[in-house]
Amino acid sequence: MTALDTLTTPAVPRRTSPSRGLVLAMLRLHRSALLFWLGLVVVAAGALLWAMGPGADAAWTEYTDTGCDLSHPNLGCDIPGPANSRYQTAVAVGIGLIRLLPLLTGAWAAGALIGRELENGTAQLAWTQSVGPLRWLAAKLAVPAVLLMAGTLTLTLLHRMLWSSDLAPLGVMSWRAWYDDGTFEINGTIAAAQALAALAIGVLVGLLLRRTLPALGVAVLAVVSLVYVLDEVRPHLWPVKTAVRGLEDGTAGSDSMIVETGALTASGARVPIPSCSGEPGCDARNGITHYYADYHPASHFWPLQLMETGLLLAVAALAAATAFVLLRRRTGAAV
Amino acid sequence: MTDTAIEAAGLGRRFGRRRAPALDGCAFRLPMGRVCALTGPNGAGKSTLLALAAGLLRPTEGTVTVLGTTPAAARERLAYVAQNKPLYPQLTIAGTLRLGRDLNPRRWDARTAERIVEEGDLDPGTKIRALSGGQRTRVALALALGKRPELLLLDEPMADLDPLARHQLTATLMADAADHGTTVVMSSHVVAELEGSCDHLLLLGSGRVRLAGPLDELLAAHTLVTGRAGDALDPHTVVESRTTGRQLTALVRPAGPLGDGLHGDRPSLEEVVLAHLRAPDAPPLLLDAREAAV
Repeated sequence: MTALDTLTTPAVPRRTSPSRGLVLAMLRLHRSALLFWLGLVVVAAGALLWAMGPGADAAWTEYTDTGCDLSHPNLGCDIPGPANSRYQTAVAVGIGLIRLLPLLTGAWAAGALIGRELENGTAQLAWTQSVGPLRWLAAKLAVPAVLLMAGTLTLTLLHRMLWSSDLAPLGVMSWRAWYDDGTFEINGTIAAAQALAALAIGVLVGLLLRRTLPALGVAVLAVVSLVYVLDEVRPHLWPVKTAVRGLEDGTAGSDSMIVETGALTASGARVPIPSCSGEPGCDARNGITHYYADYHPASHFWPLQLMETGLLLAVAALAAATAFVLLRRRTGAAV
Repeated sequence: MTDTAIEAAGLGRRFGRRRAPALDGCAFRLPMGRVCALTGPNGAGKSTLLALAAGLLRPTEGTVTVLGTTPAAARERLAYVAQNKPLYPQLTIAGTLRLGRDLNPRRWDARTAERIVEEGDLDPGTKIRALSGGQRTRVALALALGKRPELLLLDEPMADLDPLARHQLTATLMADAADHGTTVVMSSHVVAELEGSCDHLLLLGSGRVRLAGPLDELLAAHTLVTGRAGDALDPHTVVESRTTGRQLTALVRPAGPLGDGLHGDRPSLEEVVLAHLRAPDAPPLLLDAREAAV
């Protein structure tokens, strides 16, 4: 009875707008998803913070205790000790959760956020209250988007802190490069943009299919394909630099994302590296004068980040706009 | 202000090009303050008509005007309860009513909603998923009436209820509607349950309006005729006639005094509706048309 009594009080109409009520209702309806998201952020942030502090300290102590930082490291230094393993695991948990996020977001948005509501008619229940379908859809997109942004950007900041300290003493015992997929995504704006794109795709798929399970399946497929395609396309989103070396020279910069390598003939034509490469006389037989490498130096980090973020946001905007047009056409709703 | 709750003109809705339209060229006018029974066989388009009036679907042809404006613009002033009584299963009853308050901040009447819940002896802390079908109906109606609608659209509202709860909820609904002058449209294919509570009838068949108008006028326009087999029913419009042995029974719309040997009776609502359902080709009778058909 007490729960109802608290509702009884206002006999005068409240001044709150339906939009505010809609946001409150959204948070209440999807409370378990909200708690799950908070939990995920806390776990990932905890893992990264631990790695940054005690994890890194322990790993570094282990490293110096075994004398690996000295000028004559022993072979055992190639195998990580237990403290280093724990450090690596914590970092992997943080990154892994973030990498899982687009998939989880897409599945949830298509299935629980939209598909289930259309399947069992609760969407129609909401649309016949004082909020129309379009405002309902706007809330369905905006509220999760804000929460996803807040969570992902927090994790991104934490990981950037970890990464900058990682490069200093721990660089020698960690094998991550700036261009590794997970590291690259969490270090910039891509992780957040991926979550937004997954949300919009999930919402659109849910509206199109109107049923929980098919929408969930299709959305997961769509999001996974999008992430995969962008991983593949990533090196081509910004013009590469090319390093050319003679047959006797050393290699080009080590901290670079290598896009393509090959050989050059005297005319400057690009040919594949012959299979006999390395044998005496091989280069001359095949008319090869130089080797080349197309690569992205570390300074291309932000251009690459922003190009990919732009693409993801464009996908998100397109999916969201399509969802609005679709719902508007279906219900004939104004606002 | 308008005195028309719902007005349809040439209203049609198709689901997919190959299928027959769910609604086709419907024209009718429902005045304010009426309690209208919407009936017809399964698949006649009752739910489609209600969803169109509630602004959940867009008509593929024609228009429907609700409370003098478009259904979307009238959203705040109408309430709709769908056939399967959708509610959020994860919310409690109190949470569901709070949802109604949050989503209708300018209209919400908590007392009405709570009273309907209390009349069913429901604990507000119960989760919706733990309710029986009839209890869900009660909560769905509480949510709809709490909005203080000017127009209440109910799709098969009483189907899940036991006779006692049905009686009680109908009484609550009618008292509330009478107090506030709410227009109610209630679909059902159980004709008997409509007769006591409704004063207006809309009978749909195959997506078209078959009968429309005030209940008493519709009943007065029909006569149940008995006579001997072979008697001519000529000047009258015959809705349905049957011969059993030497006995002729027919439902007609009399065009004048009945001929000799024919005995006329006032039909019940059920007899009128059933005769029209059995005779799908009988001409429609629209007593509300006014200028709606334009």
